Formats: sequence, structure tokens, C-alpha cells
Amino acid sequence: MRPRGTPTVVRAGVPVPLALPVAVLLGVLVALPLLRLVQVLWQEGDLAGILGSPGLGTAIGHTVVLAVAVTVTAVPIGVALALALRRPDLPGRAFWRAAVLLPVVVPDFVLGYSWTQAYARAGFTDTLLGLHWDGLLGPVGVWLVLVVNAAPLAYLVVAVGLAARSEPDLERAARASGAGSTTVLVTITLRLVLPAVAAASVLVFVLTLGTFAIPQVLGTPAGFRTVTTRIYADLSIGGDPTSFLEAVSLALLLVLVAVVCVAPSDALLGPRLRSARPADAQGQQSVPGGRAARRGQAVGVGLYLLLTMAVPLAALALSSVTRALGVPPTPGNWTLDHFRQVLTVRTVEALGRSVGLAVVAASLLVLLGGLVAVGERRRAGRATATLITLTLVLPGSTLAVALLITYGRWLSGTLTLILLAYLAKLWAFAHRPIAGALDRLPPDELHAARASGAALLTAVRTVALRPLAPALLGAWLICFLTALHEVTMSSLLYGPGSETLAVVVLNSQELGRIGPTAALSVVLTVLVAAPALLLSPVVGRLRVPHDGPRAEVARVG
Amino acid sequence: MSAEPVPEAAAVEIVDLVVEYDGTTALRGVSLTVGAGEVLALLGPSGSGKSTLLHAVAGFLEPRAGTIRLAGTTVSGDGRPVPPERRELAVVFQNYALWPHLSALDTVAYPLRRRGAPRVQARAEALEIMRRLRVDHLAQRRPAELSGGEQQRVGLARALARRPSVYLFDEPTAHLDTHVRGVFLDELVARQQDSGAAAVYATHDAEEALGLADRVALLDHGHVLQVGTPQQVYDEPVDLFAARLTGPASAIDDGQLLVRPGWARLGGPLEGDVRAVRFRGPHSDYLVHSPRGEVLIREAGSPRHAVGAHLGWTLEHGWPLAGGAI
Repeated sequence: MRPRGTPTVVRAGVPVPLALPVAVLLGVLVALPLLRLVQVLWQEGDLAGILGSPGLGTAIGHTVVLAVAVTVTAVPIGVALALALRRPDLPGRAFWRAAVLLPVVVPDFVLGYSWTQAYARAGFTDTLLGLHWDGLLGPVGVWLVLVVNAAPLAYLVVAVGLAARSEPDLERAARASGAGSTTVLVTITLRLVLPAVAAASVLVFVLTLGTFAIPQVLGTPAGFRTVTTRIYADLSIGGDPTSFLEAVSLALLLVLVAVVCVAPSDALLGPRLRSARPADAQGQQSVPGGRAARRGQAVGVGLYLLLTMAVPLAALALSSVTRALGVPPTPGNWTLDHFRQVLTVRTVEALGRSVGLAVVAASLLVLLGGLVAVGERRRAGRATATLITLTLVLPGSTLAVALLITYGRWLSGTLTLILLAYLAKLWAFAHRPIAGALDRLPPDELHAARASGAALLTAVRTVALRPLAPALLGAWLICFLTALHEVTMSSLLYGPGSETLAVVVLNSQELGRIGPTAALSVVLTVLVAAPALLLSPVVGRLRVPHDGPRAEVARVG
Repeated sequence: MSAEPVPEAAAVEIVDLVVEYDGTTALRGVSLTVGAGEVLALLGPSGSGKSTLLHAVAGFLEPRAGTIRLAGTTVSGDGRPVPPERRELAVVFQNYALWPHLSALDTVAYPLRRRGAPRVQARAEALEIMRRLRVDHLAQRRPAELSGGEQQRVGLARALARRPSVYLFDEPTAHLDTHVRGVFLDELVARQQDSGAAAVYATHDAEEALGLADRVALLDHGHVLQVGTPQQVYDEPVDLFAARLTGPASAIDDGQLLVRPGWARLGGPLEGDVRAVRFRGPHSDYLVHSPRGEVLIREAGSPRHAVGAHLGWTLEHGWPLAGGAI
């Protein structure tokens, strides 16, 4: 196919073949460990005995029911938030839009723990008003906090879908055709965001299947077991071969459940999800609505955030500075003792490890994600990109167990093993935004640079890098934050001298040290939130306003 | 349905309309009237406020001040604005605004369904409307499977199905190829006349505006510069800017006198040099430099003079400009 006289290097776009090293790395990080998982079970497992154990069936049942329940609750909340927050006339809109994303920067076990500080026995509302909720520790509490944790994600996916698919004119056309606002919502708007709703559902479902920290904090004390918490219990408490094999089979079952549930929906939705049109995530209301509805929506969003985020986080902050459990959290009872108590050499070392690990992981991940995204432009790279996207389905617990049995012999208990797990788990997180930004880059801009005399690399550097910068920085930030508060895999893989700060917090919580755990949680949250708050305006400022044809249309007349 | 419209009432009446977007004023006190069955063209450059005006009439935005009446009923400016679905109007959009999840047939049936027609009846009626526009063979297609011209015909069919008393056309031909444009415009005018409804037609194309409107309103920076019949705005523009909006214009005698290309001819007592020649198909344009100023002269047929030729010309008609040169 190659035209005569044209050097391969130019036609290939990228001078080195990328597909091969990427595929090898993917094999080392994911394929080989998964195969090893199967092999171990095949060779040593008393499969019938393990699969027949009653606890296993219960754990799987709990996990699936929980994932379904969280999905059908969190996605409608995400849709409602996206619809309410796209109204340009919503009072305090900019603040709400930032506040809704708060659970993204708050580590999930900190969120779960903060709920216990707010609403459980001897918590904030109990001390102040004598109100507490016993059901918080148990399946209902796990479900509710998982919903709060997942809703922002559903909101983000749906909001982007709204902005991309539902042009204001489509809704205006329906209004001008005689449809009232509710009819437009049902017949037009919701139909247009259906693919985004489906995508959000798959995402929330998969993440809930693999979630560990919230069921561990809120479910385990009440004896409510999921697959992930059972794996943790098997590996950290039970040291015998039976519990090890049970962990291995649970890990394998978890990924099977994920694949079985997600494969049909991805086949159904995949092509549609990938052809999303470029859009700014602003979105706007097509027709002004009534003032009462506007105020009602603002109050609704405010109340939701107050109860789900503000009160728990305030309770967490207060119990980190309050002298003892059950004492009223008034300034007279405030002390910094808990912080002094937890700021030991061990904590500071863990903090340093966490930050270092997150920086290294995020930087490598942006590089790896970028490689796959660029490789994807050629036919050979497309399969690897699909494989990378598939790793999204892999639960962290499965990956951790698989990596442990594959490389544990050499790397057990080292930071390197945790780093490998992060790379495998977060590769897709880095790949998606970079690939999306590459897709949005109009090819004519590169063509124009080439036609103006720039060689390929010069063209990429001078024309493409600047518009890609927000995506690169955004991908780095996502990986950094996720790595920083990751606990599912690190709690299974850490050893003496390789605890991350998140693991320290989890262990402290399991020891029942309330004040110190709260203090550690505050430290971790600040650590995560600070770079997010500092860097996200930078990402926003780097974003070049793109004068597409759509922007042109909007300005005419 | 609202009460029977007062027979004398104008189809659309706009009084002192002010619209603001994020602190910038898009319309600064616009007053316009569209009579029953009349076609009013809004002609102006990008950003002049044409679309904003249409959106205000349709109820897609809330004006800051002013009044809008449709068939004598106040829909905006007096208490709660009437929402778009209860204004009896239909909109044809520049970017077609067809719903990607509906077939062409269901798109056209949509307004009928909103009137309460059962699905089967709405579809039958929609198919009939599509047949009249000769797009019935596209009934089962989705927007993505239609060309621009086909999409805009479906958009027009949807507007017809609404059976409104006012049509709002928001540059409906802006994205259409030239050859599709003419056919679509003929169709649009014929259907609008059949229906007896009034229409407001926004465009930046002078030929379109002059060719299809009963009256033309010239818009710039949110102001109405002039309203009149197509002949009035072409022959007697209020100033040179208005003159240039409606077609080629030369200003001679220090900008005091407007000369349209057809108002002067080659040969005659006045002297000049040809600075440029453009062959335009049916006619040729000559840019002639003369002591009274540069003037564009249009003559039928192929070019008869070359650049640099010294020749005579005759001024047959001129229109005194109030403001002088801009």
C-alpha cells in the first residue's frame, strides 16, 4: 500500500512502532497475572469445595445486589444534578458545580468514615441532637454512602453527554413545536442523553463491583461481606492455604461477574460512546424556566450537598480536634493532640511514600496513556487501545491478587509491586482523556502546520502540544489523585516499610482509634484536595477556546 | 387554543425590545410590526441581532424590557412571559435542529402529537405534509442519513405541521449549497403563502431578503436602521451603510450621492478610467475611477473594455445620502 518513494517514517506518523512495547507491557501487567490466577486455581484448587462454601455465595450475592442498587440510585441522582446544574440562571451555579465534585477529591474511605462521625452512635448529630442512625453500619449505610460517592461520576458523564448531544436548538425546536418543558425533558432531552446515561450506569456498576473501602469501613463491622472485603479478610487475617485459594477464586469470580455484566452493554454502546461530538462541558438551558423551579432546584442541590458532604466532613474535622469521644465539639474542648499523636515518623514516611508513589505513577501513566493514544491513530495500535479500555473492568482486588501471585516471589511487600498495580489499574484512566483530546484535535491544524513547512515533530510540538496540554495535565491529576487515595490494592500489597498513607489511615480506623483516624483523614484529604484545587484552575486556563463551526453558529445574528 | 385573534391585530408587534446577554446588549430598543400574512425579512450582518430577535419572539429568551404581541395577545413584557409552546409559531433553524433519535416521519409528527393527535393519525398527517414537500420517501430516515437540503425540508415540514400563525425562519439556507437553496426558497415561499400565515425571515443575504419579503428591516448592532419595502430599502437607503447591506453601492461627490450599479451606464459625457473589470456571467461589472469618485457600473454581456481604458459614462440616477461618506 505504501506509495513509492515515500519514506515509512513520514507515513507512519510516529517514527517508532509503538504497538509492540505497549502490548508487551500490557501482557506483563495484566494478561500474565490473570493467566497465573487461573493456573493457580486449576493446579491447586479444590474448586468444588471452595465454590460450595456458603460465605462465598453470600459475598458474591451481596456484591451484585449492591452494585445494582447503587447504579439505579446514583445514576438518576447524577442525571438530576446534571439537569439542574446546566441552568445558567441557577443561583450560585459556579459554586454548586465545584461542590458537587467534592466526593471525587475526598478519598472514599474518608467519606465513609466521615459519615460514621456524623450520623452513627456518638457521632455529630447524636452529641448535638441526640439523633443517630444505627443502620449506617450495615448494607443500607454501605449502599447510601456508595451512592453519594458514585453520584458525581454519573453527574460528570451525563453532564458531558448533555453538552455534547443536546444542543439548545433541539430543545427549542421541541418547545416551538408545542411541547411543554416536561414533555421536552421526556421526549427529547432524556432521549438524547440516553447513551451517556448508559455509559454512566456501566461505569458506576463496574466501580461498585470492585469497591472496597466503603464496604470495609461501614459493612465489615456489621458482618456485611462483599467479595472485595472478603478477599482482604482472607489475605490479611487468614494465613492458611484455604483462605488464600478462596481469595484467588473470589478475585477470578469478581472479574468474571464484571465481564459478564459489562460485555453485552459495551458491545451495544461501544460504537455510540466513542462517536461523541466535541463540546465544552458547559451546557446551557435552551429556554428560561420559572423562578420558583429555579429556586427549588438550588435548594435541592444545596440540601443534598449539606447532608451528604458538608455535615460529614465537618463532623470529621471536628472529631479530629475534639478531645474525646462523646464530648461536645465546642471550641473549649478543642485540641491538636490527635494531630500531634499521629504525626509520627511512621506517618511522615508513609506520607512521603504516598506522594512519591503517586507522582511517579502519574508521570509514567501519562506517558503510557499518551503512547497508546498516539498508537491508536494507526491500525496496529487500535487493538491495544481497546484492551486498555477493557482493563477498566478489572477490579482492583483481582489485579492485586493476580500481581501478588505472579510477582510476589520477587517483589512481595515492595513499593514496586504497588506501582505495577497502579500502572495496570490506572492506565485506562490516563489513556481516555488523552485519546479524547487527540480526537478533538482538528486534523487540518496539523495539516496546515505541515503545509507551512513544519516537519512532523515540529508540527506536533508547535501546534498540537498546546491544545493537548489541558488533557495531559488533567490525566496526570486524575492518576495522581487516584493513586494518592488508593487503598483497595495497596492494602493487599503493602509490606513492612511500604505502607502508604491511605493504608495507615485504614489500619488506624480498624484499630478503633477515633480521634487519630479523623486527624489522619483530614491530613490525607488536605493532601489530596490541595493539588486538585491548585491545579484545576491551571487546567482550565490552559484550555484554548476552540472556534469550531458550532461556536460560529452560536454567534451569528 | 387561545381566543379568536382580533382581525385588525398585527401578526407580530414588537415595541421597544431590549435584550441583554451576560451584560452586553444584543437588542437596543427594537420596534417592528408584521402584518397578517406578511413576510418581513430581517437583514443584517453577523451579530446584528437577527437571531436574538427571533429567539425573543419565539420565547427562547427573556427580554430585559419591551413588549411582544402575537395576534394582539401580549406574550412578553406584561407579567409572566408565555412559554414557547403556547405561542402559535413555528421555527425553522439555521442548523436544522432535527432530533437525532427520531425518524423524519416522527419528527414531522411531533407537533401534531403535542396537539393531542393519536400516533397513527399524526403519522398519516405528517406523511401527507412530507408528500407535499416531496420528502415522503425519506420518512423512515434519521437526520444523520439525510443531506443538508433534505434535513431542512424535514425541518420545514415540521414547521408546517405546527400550523402556526407566524413562521420564524432563522437563516434557514445559510448551510445549504447554492443550487439547493433556490429550490428550497421557492418551496418555502409557496407553502407560507398557502398557509396564509405571517413570517419573519432572518438572513444576511441581500438577494434573498429583497426577493422574498414584503418588507425588509435592516438591523445593525441591535438597532433597526430602516424598514420598508424591498424597493424602498434598495432605492432609498437611509445611509451608505444601509445601502451596502442591500447590495453593491458606490458613493460619489464626496459621499453625498449614492449610485447603484444599474443607475449608470458606459458611454457619455462624464470621463473615467477603468480600474477593474469583473465578468459575472449574465453581466459584467466595471469599476470606473472618475473626478466625481469611484463608481461601479454594471452592463449586460461580456466585458467590452479592459483595465486601464479611458472612457465616457453617464449617470442616469442618484440618491442623495443624508450622512455623507462613512
